[in-house]
Amino acid sequence: MSTHVHRLPLSPCGSCASHFLCVRVCVCLSVLCMCVGLDLQDRNVSLLLHTLTSLPFLSLPLSLSPSPLLQFHLNSSTNTTPLSLSLSVSFSLSLCLCFRFCPLALTHAAVQDSCDGGQGSQYDSDSELHSHAQVFGHQPVVQMDEVPLVPGETIKATANNVMYICPFSGALNGKLTVTDYKLYFVSLEREPYFLLDVNLGAISRLETISVQSNGENTCGIEIVCKDMRSPRFAYKKEDQSNMEVMEMLTKHAFPLSHGLSLFAFQYKEEYPVDGWKVYDAVAEYKRQGLPNESWTISKLNSSYEVCDTYPALLVIPSNITEDEIRRVASFRAKHRIPVLSWIHPETQATIVRCSQPLVGPSDRRCKEDERYLQTIMDANAQSHKLTIFDARQSSVADTNKAKDGGYESENFYPNVELNFLEIPNIHVMRESLRKLKEVVYPTIDDQRWLSAIDGTHWLEYIRLLLAGAVRVADKLESGKTSVVVHCSDGWDRTAQLTSLAMLMLDSHYRTLRGFQVLLEKEWISFGHKFASRVGHGDENHANSERSPLFVQFIDCVWQMMRQFPAAFEFNELFLIAILDHLYSCLFGTFLYSSEKERVEQEVQSKTVSLWSYINSQAEDFSNPFYVDYQHQVLYPLASVRHLELWVSYYVRWNPRMRPQVPVHQNLKELLFLRAELQRKVEELQREVSSSHSLSSSSDHNSSSPSHGGTPLHTSA
Amino acid sequence: MVGEEEKRGEIVVNEVNFVRKCIGVDSSQDDLWGKLICTNFKVSFVTHNSLPQQNFRYVHRLLGEHDVPLACVEQVVTVNDAKGKQKVLGSNQKLKFNPTELILYCKDLRILRFRFDQAGPEGAKKVCLAIAHYSQPADPQLLFGFEYAGSRYYNSSGERVNGVDPGGGQQTALFDRPSDWDREIKRTGASEWRVCSVNEGYVVSPSLPEYFVVPASLADQDLKQYACSFTGQRIPLWCWNHPNGSALVRMSSISDPQQQRKLDQRICTAITKSHPQRSDVLKSDLDKQLPNIQEVQAALLKLRQACVIEPFEESEEKWLSSLEASRWMDYVRAFLKHAVEVVYSLEGKHTSVILLEEEDRDLSCVVACLVQLMLDPHCRSLLGFQALVQKEWVMAGHRFLDRCNHLKKNDKEESPLFLLFLDCVWQLLNQYPSAFEFSETYLTVLSDSMWVPVFSTFLFNCPKQRADYSRDFARSRSIPLGDQALRFPPVWDWSQQFSPKDQTLFNNPLYVGKSATCVQNGAVKSFKRTKKSYSSTLRGLPPALRNGQLLSEVDTLPRRNSLVLRLRPELGGGAREPCESPCERFMRERFSRPAEPQGTLLPQLLPSHLALWRLYFLRWVPEARIPRGGPPAAYHKLSLLVDEIHTLQSRLRNYSSGPHNATSSPSALTSTPSSRRPPPVPAPAPAPAPSPILALVPAPKPPQRPQSLSQPDQQQQHQGRMYFRVSSLALPGSGSGSGSGSGTPDYLSSSFPFSPVGNLCRRGLLGTPLSKLLSGARIWLSTETLANETL
Repeated sequence: MSTHVHRLPLSPCGSCASHFLCVRVCVCLSVLCMCVGLDLQDRNVSLLLHTLTSLPFLSLPLSLSPSPLLQFHLNSSTNTTPLSLSLSVSFSLSLCLCFRFCPLALTHAAVQDSCDGGQGSQYDSDSELHSHAQVFGHQPVVQMDEVPLVPGETIKATANNVMYICPFSGALNGKLTVTDYKLYFVSLEREPYFLLDVNLGAISRLETISVQSNGENTCGIEIVCKDMRSPRFAYKKEDQSNMEVMEMLTKHAFPLSHGLSLFAFQYKEEYPVDGWKVYDAVAEYKRQGLPNESWTISKLNSSYEVCDTYPALLVIPSNITEDEIRRVASFRAKHRIPVLSWIHPETQATIVRCSQPLVGPSDRRCKEDERYLQTIMDANAQSHKLTIFDARQSSVADTNKAKDGGYESENFYPNVELNFLEIPNIHVMRESLRKLKEVVYPTIDDQRWLSAIDGTHWLEYIRLLLAGAVRVADKLESGKTSVVVHCSDGWDRTAQLTSLAMLMLDSHYRTLRGFQVLLEKEWISFGHKFASRVGHGDENHANSERSPLFVQFIDCVWQMMRQFPAAFEFNELFLIAILDHLYSCLFGTFLYSSEKERVEQEVQSKTVSLWSYINSQAEDFSNPFYVDYQHQVLYPLASVRHLELWVSYYVRWNPRMRPQVPVHQNLKELLFLRAELQRKVEELQREVSSSHSLSSSSDHNSSSPSHGGTPLHTSA
Repeated sequence: MVGEEEKRGEIVVNEVNFVRKCIGVDSSQDDLWGKLICTNFKVSFVTHNSLPQQNFRYVHRLLGEHDVPLACVEQVVTVNDAKGKQKVLGSNQKLKFNPTELILYCKDLRILRFRFDQAGPEGAKKVCLAIAHYSQPADPQLLFGFEYAGSRYYNSSGERVNGVDPGGGQQTALFDRPSDWDREIKRTGASEWRVCSVNEGYVVSPSLPEYFVVPASLADQDLKQYACSFTGQRIPLWCWNHPNGSALVRMSSISDPQQQRKLDQRICTAITKSHPQRSDVLKSDLDKQLPNIQEVQAALLKLRQACVIEPFEESEEKWLSSLEASRWMDYVRAFLKHAVEVVYSLEGKHTSVILLEEEDRDLSCVVACLVQLMLDPHCRSLLGFQALVQKEWVMAGHRFLDRCNHLKKNDKEESPLFLLFLDCVWQLLNQYPSAFEFSETYLTVLSDSMWVPVFSTFLFNCPKQRADYSRDFARSRSIPLGDQALRFPPVWDWSQQFSPKDQTLFNNPLYVGKSATCVQNGAVKSFKRTKKSYSSTLRGLPPALRNGQLLSEVDTLPRRNSLVLRLRPELGGGAREPCESPCERFMRERFSRPAEPQGTLLPQLLPSHLALWRLYFLRWVPEARIPRGGPPAAYHKLSLLVDEIHTLQSRLRNYSSGPHNATSSPSALTSTPSSRRPPPVPAPAPAPAPSPILALVPAPKPPQRPQSLSQPDQQQQHQGRMYFRVSSLALPGSGSGSGSGSGTPDYLSSSFPFSPVGNLCRRGLLGTPLSKLLSGARIWLSTETLANETL
């Protein structure tokens, strides 16, 4: 047996102390990971070794497929049997590979596990490997074309003869399954097998297309998705099962339009962490040092009477009466009164958000509103001014004024400075993203790529947003002045600006948990209308209320991450996961438009929070570069010169793209190496000191272990 | 200081005092006062004021922080505000007004502006004229490099070997002697090829090196005969051999049409004979498929306009379009794409390839280098890369003198091909961050070195010209002729420009760290997720997640994994796009496998995957600087980590050698009770390199000569591979509050290690272009109109 040392730091079998055999066949754009542990008798070891040595045969299927990362990892305590063998296989769903392995009993388990995901084996992840082996050992092998289901998911219809019209490599025949959560297409025609699945929640509309050259009675359907792709299928009309699948697809893609409930209410997964506990408004305000002498946490809105799109708890100036609040509410659009979002820990300057004042063409005034803003100004002793940032274009604000909305007049609000940030409205953003989709899907024009991006204006709007947020943050940080942010209703651009500014100002929001709190607070509790902006479960795709404002915000966060690679605890994957589940309807987090609705629908008790999933495997979403820049304000450079198109999100469906070997991966390897070295140093140190006292004392002194010498985040 | 300068042959030509160097355009508050000096080497600004917010300096040994070498000055513009006059000054021109302002446009994209309000008008005028005059030397021997080389001769104190500091650039193979070629033949296993010396004394071709490699089946006699039919008498040159035996050859066109067919045949036959499988030869005509040198030059001018000359704010909205309109990125892509096609032929089809170009001195240099970078991991090490440039550019006779336009004689000949090449390398580095030993700082510094006219590398059109000019100059200075007489240092002698400490900025921590990994285990390890996360993942994961993004992220290739599962299969077998070329297929298949940093690197050619080389193009633009951000922030973290790994490794060695009183010998180690250690470290540390440069050699390379340095030195050098050190608190900028320890040092920015402070700008607020938002002012003063007129 080889004596090559290789140990994984956290692997449960790693405690084994002597020899390791490790063969690593890394060939992979890995997708699925699993860990299987088996007890093997001696003869099986030879079988295993045989497999290990004959691994090159794998190269045949691998060269054609998303290939696996295989890591064999054999520990044997010297000369004792049975051997404890742990086999970690991380491999893609590339099925042929699994079959290659079938001669080995091991892989039955693997296969089972890969395709059976959530259904059966509810084994304890902490238990010993051996128990896994038992669990797996008795499971039958499952057919590879079986549809993997999440708990609570049921298959609604299946059609065996549907053609997927791949924009990249032509048509493929296969089996299309529709469940109440997803659409799942498998084609066994090619080697490796082809898989496509789309969360029904991501579907924006279903469009009939003409399919020439496929003969009569053939229908085509284009599944236009919200996540920047539009797969197309063709099927024969005469086949009853096809029609049934399409019917089910229409029904379950838009459950709300068909009197059904969203899938989140069926999803039955249990996670070790409860994501609904992530956000506690009182705790968050307490973290900010609230309440204090000027600000109070008010329960005025606890039954959502003052404002039905605001949360139950609001932070307002402490010396304002309830009556005054009601008057202010009637003067603000949708009753969204100015409330505190964030307070600077040193200067007490605040970010306050609200909706537009209902000034109207006749320049109405509201004394209480004027006094209210004065109170906000007075709460900050550092400055005798108050800055209002109106996110809108000034021309639009004027139009609004003619329609009974408007903006604060500097004449009536003394010491108030009003700035327009000139950010276009939700319709412009929707159009911009639509154009962007045309540019990136299905194909990219090599010659006109940059000007095509320019033509969408997407990056320009990102720049406007970031620049606006930088102004807000700078006003607070350098100007020590409190800021009021609003747009028209105060739930779109306002949320974008306040949350971005808070991300710049407060390092807490740049942690994994902190960012979740930020979203829960600024977006979810303050009534960003997710239901109408995303259109969950609703077939009315042309609804002008839809707009990708949240996507735009996440894009801004990504841009900040690019500019400050060490300042965020989370990684790009986290952002992509958030966006995928913005649409998926798997979790309750982004459903509905206000806290009030969520309480009515009992979202917290009936659905799972996205953060339950995220925080159950936080390591996957953490950034190994992260260093806590505490109390450091980040000013991203709001210039197109440093903004980039988020290729790994918007262009991810293009097969010409290959995931680059990311720095993060390399970094993790290095972190791992460091951990290993540290361990060895300590070990040797112990050995040396126990065996005989060290001759050179200077050497001893210089080599005390230095944990955490580098301020790098080691994911624990 | 002055003594130092005189020592290297520098003479002050003219100077003027009380000059104001403009830092911000919208206010003169930060401006610096000092003396403007023109020497025969540089324009120097000597000030006693210090720049605001600058506490880090990348010290150049030949140039002060406000200095510009004359060779770097692209255009000298004088302005008189009062009279509203302006003039672009050429050599020997007259200036009819007294300048109030001098603007220098530099080839490294800097723009410097000086005001003479308080200076004597005559003095100012004289300095301006001197700068204009000396930046356009009439004769190559007026280039400062000759004085420099001459003074090196006079001041040599015997410690030099061959005119180069021992241990300096000397480790880089210069390919000026047969042994370098021999080694290259052996290294690549090109057994059917031989070193040929028919061109000794440059008797056959004036543009070829004295020694080069040809098919073994061609006799010297034949070669001499063939030579006259090729443009420039350039016998086809061997570049490199693929392990499968396919060769890469570059060839100029055959000028004699009568001979064309026959000669072509003979060359091809000879190359075929040198192939182990006798496979065919593919000819790749570069002139037809790639942009010509003028187009490349035009692209750079446009790109420069967009990057540094257009007013920052106003050009924001059309930024991407103007990038595209410059076509620079297109050209970068074209060269990469062409190189990929050649790679396909060599590796995928096992055929030898001839790069065909009219003169074989421009485009072939780029393509030949890129092909080797993609295929040969040796070329991605620092020394390998330097040898590559030496082989395919310097020795192959790229006209650096003309392309750099050092004499400013013929603008039509000027072309930034070398910069384009470096940009292509940067794209590869950007896509494969751990595959190269050097950093983007190295590439940037290398390109800047073109404008420091003292290096043999960038001063001449070909080796013969270098020999001729050196001889002439030596004669005129009565320096004895002979082999060792007048030697220009190659740019690879980095100690000419930077301290060993600063040179560590060239090191790529990811690569260096990787080699540490290799050393540790004999094979590169993968990082695996813990078992715990596997199971929790499997249990609850929605298939969409399982398919991709989420799961695999952590595994091997975190980004864009969604694609892997859902779309990768579309790439495998089965029906193909009819339009797909074999080369595209080759690439696609390659991409379906993970990249191996030591294997073949194929760049992504989608336009979405080529990025602007921001460090190079935007480093002097103050508005584009991200304080504490940008890639250097990651570089900083990685360096610290790798440094810590090195420290741990050396500590481990101390331990293991301590108890056994022996240096690490394999048997000693494995026989110890503590033998859980891996098979011992073959290279890097126990026998560290004898020089700072050699210290950069990747781990597996065995030291080739006995070390002359003492133990402490070795330790220091070994540990000094990273610029940022965990333990070192004495960083250059550590005077500032959060300079060291946790967090990012204040002086880090997206421009690091360069600083745009001191370059012309409108002041930004907090590095954010708030100035526009706040004031709406549009200020570029006269430079803007000037720029438009003069370009």
